[in-house]
This record gives sequence, structure tokens and C-alpha cells, in this order.
Amino acid sequence: MAATVTKAGTPYKSSGMLIWRLFFGLFGLMAAGVIWFSTARPITVLPRITLAPGFYLSDQNGERFTSEDLRGQIVLYNFTYTNCTDPCVATSQVMAEVQSRLLTVDASVPLKLVTFSIDPDRDDAAQMAAYSTELGADGSVWHWATGGAKQLKSVIGGGFGVFYDVREDGRFKLDPAFFLVDGSGVIRAEYRTEEPDIDIIMRDFGLLAAEVDHSEGIYRFAYEAAHLFSCYPR
Amino acid sequence: MIHVDPRERNFIIGTTILLLIFGTAVLVSSFAFGFQVPAPVERLDPKLVATPGQSPWGDPVEERVRELAPNKYEVYILAQAWNFQPREIRVPVGSTVTFMVTSKDVQHGFRLDGTNVNMMVLPGEVAKLTATFDEAGTYNFVCHEYCGVGHHTMYGQLIVEP
Ligand SMILES: [Cu+2]
Repeated sequence: MAATVTKAGTPYKSSGMLIWRLFFGLFGLMAAGVIWFSTARPITVLPRITLAPGFYLSDQNGERFTSEDLRGQIVLYNFTYTNCTDPCVATSQVMAEVQSRLLTVDASVPLKLVTFSIDPDRDDAAQMAAYSTELGADGSVWHWATGGAKQLKSVIGGGFGVFYDVREDGRFKLDPAFFLVDGSGVIRAEYRTEEPDIDIIMRDFGLLAAEVDHSEGIYRFAYEAAHLFSCYPR
Repeated sequence: MIHVDPRERNFIIGTTILLLIFGTAVLVSSFAFGFQVPAPVERLDPKLVATPGQSPWGDPVEERVRELAPNKYEVYILAQAWNFQPREIRVPVGSTVTFMVTSKDVQHGFRLDGTNVNMMVLPGEVAKLTATFDEAGTYNFVCHEYCGVGHHTMYGQLIVEP
């Protein structure tokens, strides 16, 4: 490529040469920008995993409770039943701990917790209300809900992909799992363990809250770029 | 126009065309044909993976085919020298099945005939892919990473029932 070098002091021979230099210059700048963005990662986002299922259930006050009621809010879901003696007890403790730390997250949208009971036969509204009060649930932040067995199976098993099955002794086999869902109803994080790192859950609430607050106007494109380059937390 | 030696220019053009062909092939295969690249979704301890209570692979074999919802299944398959557990899987026609495969010893493979499920199975990692079965029949799966003297006995069947 020796021919591309112009001798010092000689003017460009033609405008064609200038266009090529500009072209390569711009290309180099763009490439440098892309490399900088994907390595320095100025913005961290959570991946858009898949759409969370819609649901039409009733809550611990016996009132209608749907996925639409949670639009625009950041929600942590988990699943249990009030007669649980297995790992699901620990997952409820995790939810209680998260509730106590929600105020530390700087957010302009409401942050919510939702627990689904997989045992609608025994867990009516009164039972869920009593159990949630025992756990220290604040009814305006932490919702409890249940519904018909068929719908629960399609929402929890089909939608969230969490397996549960009733055993002969009336207990359930239930995989421990938590899901963080954004205001558009997209699952952004899942924690499939009975003892997730609560610091990480709080961090993820913070990332989603920051995305809502900062991805406006031109910054929307910066956030899209962060998704494109998989700038996920490590 | 910059002067470039003709032979050099031919190479530049040739490599650019190759790059475009391969780039297009990647995009077409992923979007038009729906190829998925199996990614490790989870890491676990291969020594503990088959221990009851430690993971779904520790559950009894007959509980490893799980119905998440009508026509939606997940199967936890443990690959070991030299078999798959479970080695026979039954699902109804129209089912979407997610295969979660891990190894408790050495490197194995998991290839399900008639689908695009084709994964390398490494100890300590979970290989995950999903396939939908709209036609009844028997689909064979084999280990296609050489894993020792019993390698040829590592196979099983997925039976899609009408
Ligand atoms: Cu093998």
C-alpha cells in the first residue's frame, strides 16, 4: 500500500484521493469506537431473556391481579405454597430480605415483589394474607397471588419454565427460582437457586431502574448499543 | 484512485467476497434456518451432579422427563461412560422439548437425528437446546464425541407418540 502515502508537502492529486482518506479515516474511527464501547463498556445492561407470561389471578385481598397491573414497574417473582417445608421456605426469606432493602435502590418507578402460590386448593386469599403478614410482607410492595391450577401451570411451568408437581403426601416438588421482570414485561434476570446472592439481586434492580431513568432521548441508542454488544454485568 | 498492484487488488477483492459470503451464511443460517448455537448455560460440579438432591440430574431417572405445561417438556440427561440416562424418552406429538445435558466424567456429545440438536457435552457445564416435534416417530440420539472403548454403546431414543 506504499502508493497511498503522499509525500510531505505535495497536495492531493485529485479529490478522489481525499475521499478515500476520509473513508478510511471514518472507518477507522468507527472501528475504534466499537472496540472502545465493547471493551470499556460504559453502560451495563441486563439481557432481554424472553417475554414473561401474562396472567389473570387474584391476590391476597381476594382482588383481581393481572400482569397488566405491573406494567411499567420492576418486579421480582418467586413461587411457593404456604404449607411448604422444603427449599421454598428459604426463597420466601430471600424475598423478605429483598423487600427490606428495596428502599436502598435509587428508582423513579415502583419496585415490586410478587409471590405465586402453586397450591390454590389450600391457599385462599386469607391463608396467603396470614402467611405473608407472618413474613413481614408490606401489602403495597409484595403481592401474593394464585388462581386456577391450569392457569398456574401454564404461567409458571409454560411461561417461566419452572417445574413443579404435587406428590402423594400433598407436598410439592418445586424448583427454587426467582425472576426479575422489567416494565415492558420482559424477563431480564433469573436466579435458579434457593439461596441467590441478594447483593446481585439488588444490583440488578438498580441496573433496571437506571435503564428506565437514563435511556431517554439520544441515550436510548447508547442503551441499544449496550444490548447489541452484550454489555452484561460480569 | 489509489494505485494498487493488480495482483494485490485481486486478493483484496477475493478476501472481501469470501468474508461477505461467510457473513451472509452465518446470518442466513441463524435467521432463515433458525440454527442455534448451544451455549453453556450453567456451571456445576461434575462430581456432585448425580447426587440426589444436588441437581435435577440427581433425581430418579423416571423423573428426569418433566412436563412443564401441556406439550412443553424439559429433559435432564446425564451422559456418562458409556450411556445416557434416561436412554428412552417419551413425549406426545407437538411437544417442545428442552434438552439439558451434562456429563459426570469425560467429554461426550449429544446428537439427535432429524433435528438441529447437536451439542458437545462437557463435565461441569450444561448444554441446552430446544426442539419441537411435530411428527410422531422414533428419533435416535447418539454420543458423537469419542469417549472410550464403550463409545459405540452410547445411544438412546426419543419416542414421539401420536
Ligand atoms: Cu460418550
